[in-house]
Amino acid sequence: MFTLLKLAFRNVFRAKRRTIITFSSVSVGLGLLIISICLMNGIDKQSISNIIHSQTSHLKLFKTGYFDKKDEIPLNKTIQNPEQYYAKIKEHPKVKEVESRILFGASLIKRMDELPCLGVACEPESDPKILNIKDSLIAGTWIDSNKPGMVIGADMAKDIDLKVGDNVTIRIITSSKGEDITWNALDMEIVGLFNSGNPAVDSNRIIVPLILAQEALSMGNEVTEIVVCLTNDNEDTLEQAKTWLGTVFNNTDEKIEVYSWKDLASTFLAISKTKTKSSAMLIMIMLFIASIGIINTMLMAVLERTREIGMLMALGMKKWEIMKLFVFEGGLIGVFGSLLGCLLGGLAGWYLEVKGWSISAFGETYEKIAQAAYPVKDIFYGDLSFNILLSTFIFGVVISVIASLYPARKATKLNPIEALKYI
Amino acid sequence: MSLIRLENVSKIYKTGKVDFPALKEISFSIDKGEFLSIAGPSGSGKTTILNIIGCLDKPSDGTLFLNDTDISSKNSNELANIRRYNIGFIFQTFNLIPILTAFENVEFPLILKGNMKQKDRKLLVEEILTEVGLKDFMFRKPSEMSGGQQQRVAIARALIKQPKMILADEPTANLDSKNGKEILQLMLQMNKRTNTTFIFSTHDRMVMDFALRIITLKDGQIHRDDKRR
Repeated sequence: MFTLLKLAFRNVFRAKRRTIITFSSVSVGLGLLIISICLMNGIDKQSISNIIHSQTSHLKLFKTGYFDKKDEIPLNKTIQNPEQYYAKIKEHPKVKEVESRILFGASLIKRMDELPCLGVACEPESDPKILNIKDSLIAGTWIDSNKPGMVIGADMAKDIDLKVGDNVTIRIITSSKGEDITWNALDMEIVGLFNSGNPAVDSNRIIVPLILAQEALSMGNEVTEIVVCLTNDNEDTLEQAKTWLGTVFNNTDEKIEVYSWKDLASTFLAISKTKTKSSAMLIMIMLFIASIGIINTMLMAVLERTREIGMLMALGMKKWEIMKLFVFEGGLIGVFGSLLGCLLGGLAGWYLEVKGWSISAFGETYEKIAQAAYPVKDIFYGDLSFNILLSTFIFGVVISVIASLYPARKATKLNPIEALKYI
Repeated sequence: MSLIRLENVSKIYKTGKVDFPALKEISFSIDKGEFLSIAGPSGSGKTTILNIIGCLDKPSDGTLFLNDTDISSKNSNELANIRRYNIGFIFQTFNLIPILTAFENVEFPLILKGNMKQKDRKLLVEEILTEVGLKDFMFRKPSEMSGGQQQRVAIARALIKQPKMILADEPTANLDSKNGKEILQLMLQMNKRTNTTFIFSTHDRMVMDFALRIITLKDGQIHRDDKRR
């Protein structure tokens, strides 16, 4: 075994230039694979983090029927006196904070410009413990329950040229018990601008104090959702808390349903899954091309060493030993190519994890396309792990071994006499 | 008991629709320790006989015995085993493994044979390379040696596993007459010392002069079988 490995090792480096080209094709293929996985994982991680920490939090409680109509932003499916449930919700050891919110459809009007947006009425004291909007203020101050004022996304402010201190009119759909929809208009000062990093939030969200919205919408002490923040983003914690809350609210008089951020971001998750699949296909095509390189190199080796194979057979080497020799050679190409690929991909992945990939550098159009696909802006960060490197390495070696099977089999099919006569 | 016995061995090569008979019902036997030359003009069947005796090819008809055991119908794995343990080869073009040193080339058949400690292998390889006059060339690669030196390595490689016979297909064809003579003397010396059977094909008169028995072929049949004192 060791002798065959030694022989295979020396054979691999026999035609140095060809071997380097083959190594390169394997390592570039695997390096790109690592970069793609690293980037896809990183973007997904960043997107999920943005969804949880600037958009939905971990869990939301809605009045039964609200979730199915959520795209219409209804104001007639509300939870009465939400504070009554806070103590019960906080009994779960993994619940960190709870707040009530109202989501409402609105338009921001500045002179002749009108921009449709999503209004979020939140509790100014609790919200910063749940979402990162307050932390991402880039100008002005946070909202105050005792003072009318709102904060808006920096992207939206840029779109209609607004700044802190400007007074604008918000046209909102007021609450209606029934099918009648009425409008109300409020004049309000912009007290702050935020840049959360989530384009969906920064481009169309206005945030106002809950009390103010309840008054303007004539909603008394009603809210459209209770938002629950957990102590961590762990999936098990999420599922466990969701199940526990589901059981708790199954036994209350008011019909309340529990949804996780996954239910609320199902479209993003579906798109992400599809993208992963199509990227995997592209990567497979890339690796197929690399494996063609290995097959070609090995076939050349079989051809060049035909007489030597005949001699090895004459010395008494059996067909399966010849096959093993060539498979070892393929495996070694895989090992070295994969090591190099992991090194290159690892370095690039590390760079992406630390410095990120600035999408704005590719121009505004590209940035907009990227933002449409992912709730991330400015910089995509990679997420590299040892598991990615290890599985890519193993994958590279296995692909190389598989690619070497055909040439190896071809070598065993040689007739020793014909092989010895080969010039 | 003869070492090798061929009984009515024929070999027909099929080239397209035409059958070409390379050997026609040949019968002869070779005893242990013989130093034998198979002679004849090109196309007479010399190499075909060596290939069949060397278990690299099978007869189309007839029977081949090795130590009175019929080996004509063995499969490729069994034939590989026979070659591994019983037969050494010396080729006209030396056929050493270019990436291995002289030492490693000679050691290789011992590794294939197995059951020998590395230390013992090393001693044996050093001993035989010294015997063929390559003590100072052990760690050179074939490309760093002359044709004569490479053929000496090939002889050492064939002898190291102590085979029952060594087959040499025109072993001096690629050497000048001085080196050719030295190689033949070395083979003869090894034949005498180890009593290993040497069978070589040639059409060179000088080579035939070394042989103690010459089987001359003509058109795939034995034309003469001369034994010398």
